[in-house]
Formats: sequence, structure tokens, C-alpha cells
Amino acid sequence: MERSNFPAIRVSGLFRHYQEGDRQHQVLRGIDLDIQQGETVALRGRSGSGKSTLLNLISGIDAPDDGQVVVAGQDITELSENDRTIFRRSHIGFIYQAFNLIPTLDVSDNLRLVLELNRVSKEETAQRIEQLLGAVGLLERAGSYPDILSGGEQQRVAIARALCHRPKVLIADEPTGNLDDKTAGRVLDLLENLVRENGHTMLVATHSVAVASRCDRIIELHDGKLEEVRKA
Amino acid sequence: MRLVAFKASVAYLWRHPWQLILALVGIAVGVAVIVAVDLANSSAKKAFLLSMDAVTGDATHQVIGGPQGVPESIYAELRVNHGFDDIAPVVEGRVFLKDASLTLLGIDLFAENEMRDYQFDSFTSEALPDDGNGNAEGLFLDFLIEPGSVAMSADTAAGFGLAVGDVFEVDAGGRKVPARLVATIAGAGDASLEQLVVCDIATAQEWLERSGWLSRIDVKLADAEGQIAAFEAALPDRTRLLRAASRTQATVDMSKAFMTNLTAMSLLALLVGVFLIFNSVNFSVLQRRNLIGVLRAIGLTRKQLVMMLLAEAFLIGLIASVLGLLLGIVLGESLLDLVSRTINDLYFRVTVTQVQVSPFSVVKGLLAGIGAALLAAAIPAWEATSFQPRLALSRSVLEQRVQRSSPLASMAGIALMIVAVMLIQFSGTSLTAGLAAVLLLILGFGLVIPLFVRFATRMMITFAGRLGGVPGRMAIAGISAGLSRTAVAVVALTVAVSATIGVSVMVDSFRGSVNNWLQQTLQAELYAGVQSGSMSSQLVEDVGRLEGVDAVSTSRRIWLEADSGRTQLRVIRMAPGSYAGTEILDADPTQVWPKWETEDVVLVSEPYAFQNQVGRGDLIVLPTDLGSREFLIAATFQSYDVNASAVLMSRQVFSRFFEDEAVDSVGLYLDEDSDAEQVAEAVRGLNASDDESAQALRVISNLNIRELSLKIFDRTFVITDVLYWLALGVAFIGILSAMLALQLERARELATLRALGMTTRQVSGMILTQTGVVGLLSGLAAIPMGIVMAVVLIKVINRRAFGWQIEMSIGPEILGVAIVFAVVAALLAGIYPAYRAGRSQPALAMREE
Repeated sequence: MERSNFPAIRVSGLFRHYQEGDRQHQVLRGIDLDIQQGETVALRGRSGSGKSTLLNLISGIDAPDDGQVVVAGQDITELSENDRTIFRRSHIGFIYQAFNLIPTLDVSDNLRLVLELNRVSKEETAQRIEQLLGAVGLLERAGSYPDILSGGEQQRVAIARALCHRPKVLIADEPTGNLDDKTAGRVLDLLENLVRENGHTMLVATHSVAVASRCDRIIELHDGKLEEVRKA
Repeated sequence: MRLVAFKASVAYLWRHPWQLILALVGIAVGVAVIVAVDLANSSAKKAFLLSMDAVTGDATHQVIGGPQGVPESIYAELRVNHGFDDIAPVVEGRVFLKDASLTLLGIDLFAENEMRDYQFDSFTSEALPDDGNGNAEGLFLDFLIEPGSVAMSADTAAGFGLAVGDVFEVDAGGRKVPARLVATIAGAGDASLEQLVVCDIATAQEWLERSGWLSRIDVKLADAEGQIAAFEAALPDRTRLLRAASRTQATVDMSKAFMTNLTAMSLLALLVGVFLIFNSVNFSVLQRRNLIGVLRAIGLTRKQLVMMLLAEAFLIGLIASVLGLLLGIVLGESLLDLVSRTINDLYFRVTVTQVQVSPFSVVKGLLAGIGAALLAAAIPAWEATSFQPRLALSRSVLEQRVQRSSPLASMAGIALMIVAVMLIQFSGTSLTAGLAAVLLLILGFGLVIPLFVRFATRMMITFAGRLGGVPGRMAIAGISAGLSRTAVAVVALTVAVSATIGVSVMVDSFRGSVNNWLQQTLQAELYAGVQSGSMSSQLVEDVGRLEGVDAVSTSRRIWLEADSGRTQLRVIRMAPGSYAGTEILDADPTQVWPKWETEDVVLVSEPYAFQNQVGRGDLIVLPTDLGSREFLIAATFQSYDVNASAVLMSRQVFSRFFEDEAVDSVGLYLDEDSDAEQVAEAVRGLNASDDESAQALRVISNLNIRELSLKIFDRTFVITDVLYWLALGVAFIGILSAMLALQLERARELATLRALGMTTRQVSGMILTQTGVVGLLSGLAAIPMGIVMAVVLIKVINRRAFGWQIEMSIGPEILGVAIVFAVVAALLAGIYPAYRAGRSQPALAMREE
């Protein structure tokens, strides 16, 4: 049940470890985090600090050892794997560093797949695809396959795919990590505009100062704990 | 440095054990089938040759005569008048002991002069059972002078529960005769004495009713031409001197076509295996393109890398081939049973209990396995080590290359098929060329398949989208997008399924033709004969006089031998209404039959005409009792007999050229109102007297003969079933391997789908749909290929191997079953990959490549 005035993401007392042979590697040691609706937050941390682990837990890809993750009013730690998948498909959008477009589908089908999974009607699907591809400037590439698109174009398709089903929360993992500075700048402009326009909540894991500086808040993972970082 | 690189490369395989296991299994099964068939064939052949060795001994030549054999007087003349010492008389035939068929060999121990070198163990043993007269010498004397005294190998005796001194009954020429085991014997060297009963020549003559006649005279002659010529000059007209080895070879050659066909079937399994090996090895190389790129970057030359990858393929090929050899020996034991049963049913008696592992079979198996692995690794190894391996072998570039090259491959495939057709056209009657054409057709068809898959999936995508939405479309698109993997899987399954179609249509058509032929040929209501040997003329007359019998036809089958080979002569005295049982193929029957009855003409069976390249109007030379004589071929007739290559001669003509009144069996044509069962009883009653010398007649109805013939027919093709199941098994592994390979390569894509919200069931369903469609495409492609294979098997291979013309009929159920079969096999192979794909970790999508 969704509650108004409730944070879009609430994480409390989150623990997660990984087993490495005989050793236990504690990645997250009691994380608490609230992200309000419409807020954009940058998650920083050194490689291996647990950024991806935290994103996986918040998006319901992974389950914690202990603690609670409430997204859009739903405690996803209470859900079965199957229910988490169904929750993820409708409430969360992903943007990856490696774009991860489906190579066997053309640009419009990459978006259509997500809308179909969410049982959006055919008319509505066609409308949203046109609108979003128009918004990312790739309407004329709707029938192209990912392998002939440039990196920047692929990431723009990935952004459109992440937003097409109007998720409550957007999770991005180094969204400009594979792009040159100029292209990265353009992609970021686009992402920021779309997120702000539509009032999405976004959590973005990044090493990039440029990316972090565009967010409302910056948090940093250090030794399995979160610290708030003051924006310069 | 290179060792470390090799270590790094091999470590990859250890990390993907299933892939290593599948490659090993693929090669091992392929090698196993080849080795098994080879061992079964060679063991059966070797067992036969060893048993022939035991019977022939050191004889270099044999003197043979007409259908009845060689008159005994000729032996005496050769020895006494011409002074030939190294000759030994032999009477050979079949007897039955407890319904098992045994070779009876009657010899003259005094004339043997080490011809056969049997060791009569019991004669010299001190631990002998008392013969009643007190000593072992008594037993030896018994062998020589007591009728019914026999010797056999200890194993054969033990098999029948007999010990030296035991008295028992054997069935000789339909009569029960008493026998006594007086000795056990052992052969020299490897000679096999299994299922052999040795007795004095007088006993054999008495049992087989061949008084005054010998089966042959064994002769030891030096190579010197003069000696052979002198011997031949001493022979009277009705006898001929033949080389012992060529007589044995002529018998073995009868089964040659059967064995060649089996070898071809095993090669088919290896061919399917090669696709699988190619897929596995190719995949394992491509998966390491990053590693290969790094190794190139740090200074390994292309040659070093290629050698490294080939060494690895060699190692895998070697291990798998050794495993395949072991598996092949086990499998060979089972196949040997089937092979020897068929040879016994169709060609000659062979008792073989053990697989003989010949070094030649081992080397052949090893070469096939290692060769296939090296061949499969060579192309990807060369590509992977090219100047820009990372770029050259990125998935999309690779797939694009496969997509682009598919039209070219199709053209090459069509060219190969044209070559195959030309090979068939211009290779005369060569069976090997026919089989090579089949392989070329398969390869050619295989090359067309990638293009077929591309077109078929393109056509299916819209439909799949309507039915299963984007995931449905993805399932289909994935097949075309991963053509480098899926095409090989489709080819492997198509080849295996088309083989099942081809062979099923061939067997089905063949069975139909045989059934029709049996219905036509078996005109008499009842057939009677003795278990082995020939019927006495009195018995034939008695049968004809029975109440209810309208007419009787008689049949005699003999083998005419010459240095050029053996000819089967079937001598028939037709009953008035029985001519219709023989279908004349190329002449007017009303003109042919009267000539055949009276003039010096013969009919030849269709296989005989094909194998000897003769036809109506040609002359053939047959060795008769009056010397070699020419006969005109009046026509060819249809025959699907076991030994179908035969010459048909009327009894009347036969009597003019041969001194042989024997009859093997009679056909009984009954009065319209008589009861077949009653007449059969009357026939059985003809020798129900207490007279032990009376021949026991066996009576069988035409319906029973037909059933029995079809049973033997079905048994003959059991081995074919086994082989194509094996080929299908290899194809199954091929799909499993291809789908797992695809899944590994698409790990990130599958993880992304899971992250985007596809449930485990949806992802599994998508993969299963994909494998199901791979099966469907294979099944569809297998239909034209299977029909083409059936046509070639029927019109070319069977014709060339056995000379049969078979009416082709394609049962729609065969095609339907083939498609279902392909889809089910693919779906079964897809279960595990689908399960694994469903369990893809969406977290993987987060990780950077």
C-alpha cells in the first residue's frame, strides 16, 4: 500500500555480506537511507565499496541479510523473488554503464518489451514510444538495431527504455562511464531534464563529479556505511 | 612462457566443466559408434574366417564337383594312380543338436597328414573316463570304426552339457541318429572350433546320405605353377580345382554390402558428432577471444597461439577418443549380437561370442576422434588469432559474418549437391561412390541450412510477435541472431532426423515391396522340407500322392562355384498354376515360360542382372557336370530373397546338365475343397512310422512363411534403428551444447531481461520456445533432406549393394513423427539451458564487462 508523504525509498538497518571461500566479506553494515519523491541522489564510493550491492538491494534484484527496503511504500524485503521481479518491472527503471540493450530487438522493441511486460495497451505503447524516442532525439532510429548505434545513442535508448513505463524510481549505475566527456554531457542534460520534468526519484551510482554535481544530494559508501557528503 | 599461456588457456575449460564434458561426450560417442560397428563387423568376419580356418586347415586348394559333390573314386584315383599325397577327403554338412545348428566335418584321420592339425586331447589324457573297454586307445579306435563316434571342442561339448563317453541324438537330414562323444579336440593357433562336430568320413557319409560322395577334396599345393597345372590335368571333367582362400572370401563377400552399409551408418553418427565437436571446440576458442587478444598483445605469435589451441584440441580429442574406444568396445558387444544374428539370418553361419579388438579398429577410432577435434579447432583457432582478434571476433561482427556468408555457403552447398548427383550418375555400380554421394548430399544440405534458418525465422517473427509478444519475437530473433551457434545445432539435428526419415522410408518401402513379393511368390498353400539336406525322391512322390494335393512343385538350391565366384542356382519344377509366382520384369511371360521349360535358357533375378551387368538376350557361363556351358538369359525376374542374386533353371533343363535328383523342398497346391491343416497333418504323418531312418518333414503354410520372413526382415533392421538412435543422441547433445553456449554468451542479456522484470518462468519459457523452434526448423528441414536420402538409399545404395528395385512409398506418419521427434528432442535438450537461463542473476547486468 502506497502512502503519501512517505519517502520514495526508505532503507533501514541494511546488512549484506558475501562469502569468499572460507572468508565472510561484510559489504553493507547497517545502512539507513531515505530518498524523497522527486529527489535525485548520487551514490559515491570506491570500487568494491558496495555501491552495486546497495543498488541491487534497493531494486529488489538481491535480498539483504537483515534490514528493510521500502520502495514506493512497499517493503520489498517481504516479497518473494517472483513478486520482487513483478514489483521491479513496474516501479523501477534501470540505466546501466554498458547500456545493456537487447541486441536482437530494434530500438522501438527494446522499449516495447518493457511496456508489454507491464501490460500497457498497444495504442498507449505506440504513443509512449514515439514520445520518448522523440524526447531522446532518436525517433528516426526506431527501427535500428543496437549494434549500429553509437555509445551515446545506445545510452539515450537505454534512458528512454528506463522511463517508458513511468517508474517511481530510477536506478542508474555509472550512466556515463562508457561515454566520452562531450557525449556524457549531452546524455546527462537529457537525463536530468527528463527526470525533473516527470518528477522521477533517481539514485545514481557514480565516480563522476559531473554527474554527482547535478544531483540534489550526494552520499558516499565507506566501510559498509553511508555518509552524507556536502555539495561543493 | 608458452607453458604458462597454455595453462591460462586450459584453465578456462576447467572453469566451464559442462562445456568440456559435452565436447568430450560428443567426440567419445562419435568415436564409440565407429569403433563399435567396426569391431562388430570385423569380429563377425574374423570369427567366420577362424571357423573356416578350422574346417579348411592348411589346404591351399579344394577340389569340388557338381551339386552332389565329388565322387569318392576320384579321391582314390588321385592318391593311388597319380600319387598325390597331400590330399584329404572331406564330407561337410549341417546337423542339429538340441535345435542348434552345427557344422559336421567328416575327415579321414589317416589321410589328414596335418591338414587340419586337431589335437584330440582325450585320446592322450590319462585321466580319461573308461570307455568300457578299458583305455583311451579304445576311444581312438571307436572314432575310426564305430559309426556315430564324434569329437568336438571342450567348449562346444560343455555348451550342450556333454562329456566324453556320453551318447546323444543328432538330427541329420531330418533323421534322428545316435552319436557318441569320444574325444574333445583343440585347434591349432586361433582356429575356432565352435559349433563344429568332427567325425570319421564314413559316419558323415552315412548321416548325410552321401555314400560314395565327398563334399570336396582338400589339397595342399606349393605355389609353383607347374604343380597346380599337373594337378588340374589329373582331374576329371566334372571336377574343378579352386583356391581355398577365394572360396572363403566368396562367402565373406556375400555380407560385404551389409557390412559396408553398417560402416556408412556409423560414419553418419560421426558426421553428426563432427558438427557437435565443431560447435564445442569453436565455442571454447571464441569464448577466450579476450584472453587470446591479451596473449597476442604481450607477444605470443599467431603460430604459437594456433599451435597452443590445436594442442589443446588434440588433448581433448585424445582423451575423448580413448573414452570413446572403451565405450565402443562395450557397445560393440551389443552390436555384435545384432550383426552376427543378421549374418546368420541372411548370409552364413557364424558363432561369435566375443568382440575381437583389432589394433586397426583402435587406430581408426583414435584417428577419427582426434582428426575431427583438430579439424573443428583449426578454423576458429586461425580466426581467433588473426591480427585484430578482439574486433574480428566480437559477437556481433562474428554473427554478421555468418549472416553475410550464409548465401555463399548455400551456393557451395548446392554445388556439393550437384557434385553428389553427378557422382551418382557417373559412378556405375560402385557402392562406395554411392555412399560418398550420400555424404556429399548431407554436407551440401547442411551448408544451405543457415540461410534456411535466416529466412524461416524472418517469416516466423511476425507470427511469433502476435502470439507471444516481444518475448516471443525475441525467442525467434535469437535463433537468427545467434546463427553461428544455432545453425550448427539445427544442422546436427536435421542430419540425424533426416537419417531417421530416410532410413524409415527405405525400410518401410522395402518391407512393403517384400510383403507384396511374398504374397505373389508363395503360390502354394503349404511348403514341406527337411531341416537340412534334401528330401528322398520317394518322399517327394509320397507327398504328391496325398489326398487333397492337386499338384506339387519342387525346389532345389545349389551353389555353383568357379574361380570367378559363386552363383546360386535355383532349380524349380513348376506346378501348373505356379508360374504366376515369379514376376517376369522384362519380357512376355507367355513366351518366356515355354522356352524356359525346354530350351537351354535361364532366368536371372534382378539383383543378379544388376550385379553382373547382364540382361535379357545375354549369355552366361555356368559350370555344369558336363563342363562349363553357356545359357541364354530369357528374362529377369523380381526377387527379394535373402540371397536374391540367383539364376533360375527348370528341372528339365537342369537334369540335362547335372546328375542331381535331390529336392530341398516341395510346394503343395491343394484341391479347392481340401483343408490345408488336414493335408499338413497327413504330410507330417508320412514318416510317423517307427523307422528311425525316416526323414522328418517340416510343413509350413504360406502365411507362416510370410510372417517368418517379415520377422527376419524386421530383425535385420534392428541394428539400423540402434545406429540412428545413436546419431540422434549425438544431435541431442549438440543442441544441449549449443543452447548452453548461447546462454553463456547471452548471460548479460538474460540478466538484463531479468532486471527489467521478466520472471524466471518467462525467461525459461523464452529459451524453451527457442529450442522448440530450433527443433521445428530441424524437423522441417529434415523432411526434404530425408526424402532425398530415402530416394538415394532406395534407388542408389540398395540397388548397388543388393541389386533390389524397391517401390518407394512415403508414409505421412513417418514425416509427422519426424517433426514431433525433432521438436521433442530439442525441447528435452532445452530443459536444462532454460532452467539455467531462468536462474540468471539480474545483478550480472550491473557488472561492467
